[in-house]
Amino acid sequence: MKRVLVACGNGIATSTVVASKIREYAEEKGIALQTDQCKLMEVPGKASSYDLVVTTGTFGGDVDTPVVRAISLLTGIGQEDTLQEIITKLEQ
Amino acid sequence: MLDALMAAFQWLMDAGPTVMLPVIITVIGVIFRLKITKAFKAGLTLGIGFAGIRLILDYMTSNIGPAAQAMVKNIGIELDVLDVGWGAIAAVTWSSPIIAILVAAILITNVVMLILKVTNTLDVDIWNYHHMAIVGIMVHYTTGNALLGIAASVVMAATTFKIADWSQPMIEKFFGIPGVTLPTVSATSSLLIAWPLNWLLDKIPGINKIHFSLKDAQKKLGFFGDQMIMGLLLGSIIGLLAGYNIQEVLQLGVSMSAVLVLIPKMASMFMEGLMPISEAAQKWSQRVFKDRQLFIGLDAAVVVGNQDVITTALIIIPLTIFLAVVLPGNRMLPFADLAVIPFRVALVVALTRGNLFKNIIIGLFTTAALLYAGSITAPELTSIAQGVGIDIAVVGTALFISSFAATSLTHSFLVYLAFTMNLFISIPIMLIVIGACWYYFEVIKPRRGDFYDADRQEVSVQSDNLEI
Repeated sequence: MKRVLVACGNGIATSTVVASKIREYAEEKGIALQTDQCKLMEVPGKASSYDLVVTTGTFGGDVDTPVVRAISLLTGIGQEDTLQEIITKLEQ
Repeated sequence: MLDALMAAFQWLMDAGPTVMLPVIITVIGVIFRLKITKAFKAGLTLGIGFAGIRLILDYMTSNIGPAAQAMVKNIGIELDVLDVGWGAIAAVTWSSPIIAILVAAILITNVVMLILKVTNTLDVDIWNYHHMAIVGIMVHYTTGNALLGIAASVVMAATTFKIADWSQPMIEKFFGIPGVTLPTVSATSSLLIAWPLNWLLDKIPGINKIHFSLKDAQKKLGFFGDQMIMGLLLGSIIGLLAGYNIQEVLQLGVSMSAVLVLIPKMASMFMEGLMPISEAAQKWSQRVFKDRQLFIGLDAAVVVGNQDVITTALIIIPLTIFLAVVLPGNRMLPFADLAVIPFRVALVVALTRGNLFKNIIIGLFTTAALLYAGSITAPELTSIAQGVGIDIAVVGTALFISSFAATSLTHSFLVYLAFTMNLFISIPIMLIVIGACWYYFEVIKPRRGDFYDADRQEVSVQSDNLEI
């Protein structure tokens, strides 16, 4: 089971949208994963226990976990590429 | 037939938001061609979210209400308007009997403005419509006139889309996010004060030269930015000021920590429930406008992760509490919405290009405006919340609720005022002000070529990519 941390400004709004899109896509591809949501401010403290961090905006912090910027999942433009990137990074 | 419909609607309203929300959302979902099972689940999720909010608010007021009272007796600080947070207010907004009409009005306003080419912002972030809708609900409540309420929401929507258009260069240049605008009133509202104030600060000799930065503020203060720590600290401080003993202080601290962590969890149920509808609206509108290059309207959550924004917010948060205590006439006790201060300062930071000194000065003014507007409109907001079954009465007191959202926001407050004063005077003034701003931003400013507008870029989005 892969664990993905989805972070946005308040850990509620855009991260809910992104997390559910990731879950749906992973389900289609038959990949088992779990998503948790948090505020961007909390990422440095939490990132180490996850396989991947997905953020909905600009994230300037410094973490060891790979980070994917997923604003495309909100605008719908380039959505497929970003989802693919997330899956690829998880499979590494 | 109409009578039967009205009777059915009245029956539904009497059943309360937990019943009404699932039904209304299911119907809206079906209109947007969702499968009925999906629409129903979305609706039920909203109903659950509302039930959750009600539980937490009840828990919150029964704990902090008596403490606020004791604080008044103990040290004489009269802060009887409790900031219950934007999430609770959004829940109240989404539970209003006229919410469906208002959401439709806001969506139609966007579509019409897009067709007339007076905006480039495609805003189908349905969730954040609550900021525009609550103004209509407040106007409806105050004037008793539903048409005025709808008009107020339409004015909110139109002005928000324009402010989003005008602030787009900042989003692209400062935050580095192209093709996007932020029609999130909770973030853009600060610009109404920040734009003129920033201009003024730049004119003052000496002031316009001050620059300083705090690189490590985030590392040092980040711990306190965490919701649960903030709740614990605030609860404990209020307990101490109330003259509680240590045991009671700690109990209040942990209760308030719980509230700050739980309210957003409940609010996210609302978000989740609305998502399928938001998505359907996005797909529909992008199909309709596929030949146009548009800015996609997003939640301001996408920019608040910026380091300068967080640093500014961490400084403004304690200053907000300070202001609440020292400002004469303020009655709001800042609490739950201290967690979303980053949203209130994000665009100020972009406007000053990260000048921390100016951010703090402007932040103090925008915060003071929030506190005053929140205090003034608390009685109406409290009555509306009671109307949908949120009971905040603490035995023996008149406690009010407010937040840093709704009509506490400068933009929303001004529109609310315009629609609830003498309409023959206030509406023309409002239209003149909007017209003047429009002229400034669309005619004067592009000519002058400001920093951000210097090379106002074409939207980098290709139209053929718009279809998902």
